[in-house]
Amino acid sequence: MRPPRHRQLLAALLALCVTAAPPASAQDVMIFAAASLKTALDGVAAAWSAETGGEAVVSYAASSALARQIEAGAPADVFISADLDWMDYLASWGLIDPDTRRTLLSNRIVLIAAGTDAPPVEIAPGFGLAALLGEGRLAMADVDAVPAGRYGKAALETLGVWGNVESRIAETENVRAALAFVALGEAPYGIVYATDANAEDNVTIVGTFPEDSHPPIRYPVALTADTANPAAADFLEFLGAAPARALLEAQGFTVLDPTDADAHAG
Amino acid sequence: MPTLTPDEWQALALSLKVSFWATALSLPVGLLTALVLARGTFRGKSILNGLVHLPLILPPVVTGYLLLLTFGRRGPVGAFLDANFGIVFSFRWTGAALAAAVMAFPLMVRAIRLSIEAVDARLEDAAGTLGANRLWTFVIVTLPLILPGVIAGAILGFAKAMGEFGATITFVSSIPGETRTLPAAIYGYTQVPGGQPQAMRLTLIAVAVAMTALIASEFVARRVARRIRDG
Repeated sequence: MRPPRHRQLLAALLALCVTAAPPASAQDVMIFAAASLKTALDGVAAAWSAETGGEAVVSYAASSALARQIEAGAPADVFISADLDWMDYLASWGLIDPDTRRTLLSNRIVLIAAGTDAPPVEIAPGFGLAALLGEGRLAMADVDAVPAGRYGKAALETLGVWGNVESRIAETENVRAALAFVALGEAPYGIVYATDANAEDNVTIVGTFPEDSHPPIRYPVALTADTANPAAADFLEFLGAAPARALLEAQGFTVLDPTDADAHAG
Repeated sequence: MPTLTPDEWQALALSLKVSFWATALSLPVGLLTALVLARGTFRGKSILNGLVHLPLILPPVVTGYLLLLTFGRRGPVGAFLDANFGIVFSFRWTGAALAAAVMAFPLMVRAIRLSIEAVDARLEDAAGTLGANRLWTFVIVTLPLILPGVIAGAILGFAKAMGEFGATITFVSSIPGETRTLPAAIYGYTQVPGGQPQAMRLTLIAVAVAMTALIASEFVARRVARRIRDG
């Protein structure tokens, strides 16, 4: 039998476990956002909190992982995907509110190299990526699932070099993990978004993929079908307002106007 | 049973290879560590104990990240091993085996340590008075007595290695045929729209492998226990 003092301690610990997670107040918004938005959206969330007093909690992961979580009933209010497919997937299951959906941002994919002074690479049809890699790996997000990987694969296919480098690819579960492999020098090259490369000092952008080599990179945003949170709609509106625009553009995103965005949505 | 596709075979075979080597190479080290922790009295024993258990407590992604920083191409140990022995872990199946071994190590050591602590020291003393030296005593008295614990530790370690995902994908990413083990392949399929059927097939394979390993371990442990009792 434990001495009573231990039992009290145990009870206190248990009580702490039960009460440690405070219930979210009505002012708080839960945002599920593509991993590539991390740096810019952290700033936007802080700005929104400062303005409204509510808290914007952002869960970053690959869009694919987030869509699966929302499908499984995760308590997200807002979903920002890095491609149209995963938003369409949720829309097809009626899991987002279609009236709130719009295309918020566009982005580019770039070839990055480890270090701060890597020489530029000319990205053109049939360019010598395999020779550049040698024994090294090309870090990319999962080329079948994660948007950044899918855009990268599409670009390499269009340029006719996919077959030469297919066996040299190290796939990661999200684009920021690919960025980290290059930043650590573990992989000599990687394909990430321009905005990721801007967020990391230890990599160099050695080339930008032509915009017509891959499907356009669009970030759609929508409220989830289940949310009944008034602050969520407010946050969605804030994303298009001037302070948020400035923060997103500073990170290298192009913020689309609602009118252009509607033309791309779909 | 439906036949497996080449990709499924590849993931299964790789997982078995990675787990086998992770278990085989860490077992001697695990036995020694368990012996030191069970019998040794020295300063810093609790620190050693803490270090051994660290992978059990840390989030796997932290363990994977620490492995990447230490054993990566530019990590201090990784660069040394590459330059002097040509051993590379980065993005290789050997790295997956290292991650699996590190994650499985605490479970293995715990099981073996418990069995060592349960050994009646008087049996070892008796062997000593009959003229056996310490190493010989360990081989002919202690080892047979702790064999079920060693087997249990190895099986636990193997099972943990088969299931390792977080540290592996952080350390060596997911490369088909090289580091894409069964759990990484399952995760990959869950991330593809329409990938659920493949994910479910691989999940069933993982369940079958785990059940086979458990039943085999029960069988071996019972046989060993009977041999010790009757022998």
